[in-house]
Amino acid sequence: MSSKRLLSVLALLTLAVTGCSAKADADSAAKLSLDAALPTTIPAGTKIVVGDPTTEVALKLSGQYDKVSKYVQFANLSGGPQTTEAFRAHALDLGSVAEIPPINATWTGLHVKIVASKFRQDPINHPIYKLGIAPGVSVKTLSDLRGKKIAYSPGQAQGALILKVLKKAGLTKDDVKLIEIPSTGDVYVQALAGKQVDVAPIGGVQIKRYLAKYSKDGATTIDHGLRDDAGHLYGPVESLQDPAKAAAIRAYVAAWGVAQIWIDQHPKEWIQGYYVKDQGLSAADGQWLVDNAGHPDIPADWSGAIERQQQTIELLAKETGNPVIQAKDLYDLRFQTVAADAIKAGAK
Amino acid sequence: MSATTLPGLRTRTAANPAVRRRRLGPGKPIKFGAALGPVLLLVIWSVGSAAGWIDQRILSAPWTVVSTVGELISDGRLQSNLWTSAQRALIGLALGIVAGVVLALISGLSRLGEALLDGPVQIKRAIPSLALLPLLILWLGIGEGMKIVTILLGVFVPIYIHTHNGLRTIDSRYVELAQTVGLSQWQFIRRVVLPGALPGFLLGLRFAVTGAWLSLVVVEQINSTSGIGYMMELARTYGQTDIIIVGLVVYGILGLLSDAVVRLIQRRALSWRRTLAS
Repeated sequence: MSSKRLLSVLALLTLAVTGCSAKADADSAAKLSLDAALPTTIPAGTKIVVGDPTTEVALKLSGQYDKVSKYVQFANLSGGPQTTEAFRAHALDLGSVAEIPPINATWTGLHVKIVASKFRQDPINHPIYKLGIAPGVSVKTLSDLRGKKIAYSPGQAQGALILKVLKKAGLTKDDVKLIEIPSTGDVYVQALAGKQVDVAPIGGVQIKRYLAKYSKDGATTIDHGLRDDAGHLYGPVESLQDPAKAAAIRAYVAAWGVAQIWIDQHPKEWIQGYYVKDQGLSAADGQWLVDNAGHPDIPADWSGAIERQQQTIELLAKETGNPVIQAKDLYDLRFQTVAADAIKAGAK
Repeated sequence: MSATTLPGLRTRTAANPAVRRRRLGPGKPIKFGAALGPVLLLVIWSVGSAAGWIDQRILSAPWTVVSTVGELISDGRLQSNLWTSAQRALIGLALGIVAGVVLALISGLSRLGEALLDGPVQIKRAIPSLALLPLLILWLGIGEGMKIVTILLGVFVPIYIHTHNGLRTIDSRYVELAQTVGLSQWQFIRRVVLPGALPGFLLGLRFAVTGAWLSLVVVEQINSTSGIGYMMELARTYGQTDIIIVGLVVYGILGLLSDAVVRLIQRRALSWRRTLAS
């Protein structure tokens, strides 16, 4: 092969590689300032990418999907690590997460804002997480945690929950052994069953499975008695500064609010359509999850949520050595009433 | 053997049979030998589950897995996920094969090409695909393109290495012969290089086909709504051990089958070889 021909082949290859990796940034349209009124008309051709798989199913089941799909493209991502990664890749405009990811994203230099918040009614009796206790370990109250090996995942809701639990029990990190394990999939249940840890926060259907499988060996769970019910939609500031996207996000938040209420009012369809068909669980598991979730609370006033988030920030900042940030800066207050108003309008 | 009558030689009789020479090769192939190992594993698993030596909660019994497969097939989840995974794996594999062969030819037939390409490929080989994933997401986003590129990257390396090696070990007699009969560059590649590198390429392909399935489970954990990897990841979230094992079994079968296909191609394509295995 002559070197001339070889060089042209190489040049082509390089072109092919760079061609598919270079991604154009958002067009430099006029930026929308973060305190300007939210635009209400969505220009034709606007698309936002939303990582909110649960609401996607709810919109389909309730027949609202076609209205939203004009301006929304869904991505099957949720949770902190995946959504922040996609924000950095400019591949996502909204993500569905719990309390911690917006705080962590801000600490890692990613500028994000919360645009919708959902809580649970009677949250203490409808917790998302319980403390799983390994077979043969005796923990009846929070003060029994002293000296125990506890699974801890910094940067996740489960990790923050453990810090809050310790604070409530009047213990410090030195009174227990924190074992760093990320909580993905069924890792915590396996760690408990294998007696690698004494205590681990487990959520949702994992609680039911853990007790069903291991209670005959002496596995138990206890309540932590704290609020762990926050759920947010959040997005990168650059998406909110794009007027077309901001209008689309506003419309999506309204649809999201209505969808949450639809889920609450149609448990049978939800169990069949989401838990059984989409998630591959049994109808009994679905029923258990619905019963345990109680009813949603979508407030039109975020001041209580901001206050609680501020306490979480201060606790985490102390433990992780990060600076204390202002919780109210994490919320885009222009969206405060959007979901609640849409629910009210829908109820009429 | 007839008895000789030469003087001074002891006559050989039937009572003094010829010493049997020791065989040095592995001998005749066993019937269905390829299935022996997997079947033995299956037997151990079944017996262990039936006797209660294996905890059901840690490893579901084979019959549980079979009934779970039945359920997954009846509600259509297994087929649709398998189909999506197969499409991704095959597209990635096809592109990876092309990339691997083209790069191996460039690097094998020209010194400059080797100087430029071989180093980066060796570097890529030392980097796990899993570790590249965050970067690939930053560069290519979270769509299908990223998934296929991840599979491609996992696949092209073994193809490249083995093809390159097979090509470089072509006997110089053939190269001289090709020059003597005045073959053009393209004829030389088609008549000498490609057939000569074929054994190496096919060995690389055996690594590549299983590699393609292996990369799947990694990429399907990100923004997928379907695929075997996604099905397993979802089952993890809900602690459905039996579905996870179904996924593993499917991967095992897919790997075994695709390897068998490549070995069949090997036997057909390399029928001219006379080796220890024949």
